[in-house]
Amino acid sequence: MNERHAKTLTMMLALPALLLPAVCLLYILFKGIPALDWAMLFGSAQGASFGSVTALWPQITGSLLLMLGACVLAAPVAFGGALFYALAASHRQQKVLLGMMHLLVGIPPIVYGLCGLIVLVHLLHWGISLLTGMVILAVIILPMLLLNSVNAINRIAVGRTEAAHALGLSNGEIIRRVWLPAAWPALLTGLLLGMARALSETAPVLFTATVFSGVAWPDSVFSPVTSLQTHIFYLAQEGANAQAVDIAWASAVVLVLLVTVLSFSASALRKIRVH
Amino acid sequence: MNIQKKIDVGLTIQQSAIKADQAHSLKLSGLSLELGGTPILRDISFALPVHGMNILIGPSGAGKSTLLRCLNLLHQSWQGDLHIMDKDVRTWPDGADALRRAVGLIAQKPSLFPCSIAQNVVFGLGRKARKQVSDEHIEQVLRQAALWGEVKDRLHDKALTLSVGQQQRLCIARALALAPKMLLLDEPTASLDPRSKQCIEASLLELAATMPVLCVTHDIEQAKRLGGQIIFMCDGHLIESGDSVDFFARPERIESREFLRWSVCDCS
Repeated sequence: MNERHAKTLTMMLALPALLLPAVCLLYILFKGIPALDWAMLFGSAQGASFGSVTALWPQITGSLLLMLGACVLAAPVAFGGALFYALAASHRQQKVLLGMMHLLVGIPPIVYGLCGLIVLVHLLHWGISLLTGMVILAVIILPMLLLNSVNAINRIAVGRTEAAHALGLSNGEIIRRVWLPAAWPALLTGLLLGMARALSETAPVLFTATVFSGVAWPDSVFSPVTSLQTHIFYLAQEGANAQAVDIAWASAVVLVLLVTVLSFSASALRKIRVH
Repeated sequence: MNIQKKIDVGLTIQQSAIKADQAHSLKLSGLSLELGGTPILRDISFALPVHGMNILIGPSGAGKSTLLRCLNLLHQSWQGDLHIMDKDVRTWPDGADALRRAVGLIAQKPSLFPCSIAQNVVFGLGRKARKQVSDEHIEQVLRQAALWGEVKDRLHDKALTLSVGQQQRLCIARALALAPKMLLLDEPTASLDPRSKQCIEASLLELAATMPVLCVTHDIEQAKRLGGQIIFMCDGHLIESGDSVDFFARPERIESREFLRWSVCDCS
């Protein structure tokens, strides 16, 4: 096989990877954008007893609250775990920690949702609430954030850390003056991807945090919320109702745009890291 | 003063310093270390005088670099006794970090921080000291490391723009900024060009006149040039130690003779 044939073959193989997401994205935009307008996004949510006639801002708010809460809960634990891995863990503890995180990354989100429903909602009586959803989403994104933080620290040149130790810098100073300045773009990139993941999860929040309608703004963290993900899920079941399907497409556009903004931000930060 | 003259003066000063002062800056007895169940260092004992050059020489894999890391407490799982300035390092006042500031360690490959040359010099100082440090102090340590002339007009340039030889001298200046009681160097001129090598050797000899310097090398010619006390290691054992002139002229052990002849040693 000559070079030209090899190039053509690899291009043919790569084509579905490029085309499929592009076609999906274009179709979502094609169906969703005509249904979107200002009133649908930010109109009144009062008096709405059924999701298909409400504005989308309560759902956007719910999704963003769940996402931010999950990140606030998971990020310190993930970064702390990465510091333990890098500074204090024995070789055996490092292997166990990484093994556990790789295992947890692979567990289907619906299983986490089920655990949240049984343990947090029923056994601990937290109910279907914003807090329950945040905790479950935090557990889902934690392994991803921790692995990303470990990689970010591992990428810092060993010689630089050793030089700092040899100069008598304490662990705290090494973290603050050597690791954080070098690793922050990678840590932030991981956090943004974690946010995108939290924003995309449907099944766990369906079980633990959301109701279909009737909530514009949660009274407290113990109140349920509505979210874009579950909104789309409910509306998609109303296939006979053209208005519901239109709103589902519009919701999908908003969700895709939010995730895209996060992903592009992560990509931009990666470029800073490279430079 | 040209570099050769500096080397000659340095050698003269350190020889007289060793003879004049028989006190010890570092005493090591029975140091052994295992890593992952493998013995790396076995029952090492030696002492360093208060001033002067000391060369830790031996083939690759002898445990020289590991020994330096033990002296600086980067490895802490060793067994034995180590006293620096008559203080047990395990009970060093203010702990291991304070000891590391007192015992400067310069690695084989220069590792600078992504900031300016001046900021790199003062990187090891505490926050208050960094703010109060004078330009004169920065100049003094850069002069001691034989780097001042090359960087005096660009102290605020990125340190990573320096050549490798200059980076290594900046690492020496960075360690000197902490006013260490002794200096440990792990093959500081490996993979440097002859000119940089000569600069670093000259500045080490000047420093050895005021403090103990322990320099790891497997380069026999460099060890001859630097002189002082030789400590010859092979396969984790200390084989022979003594004055460099005697060691190179009349090595006592067969392993030493073999190493001086072939630069290898088979004592396992």
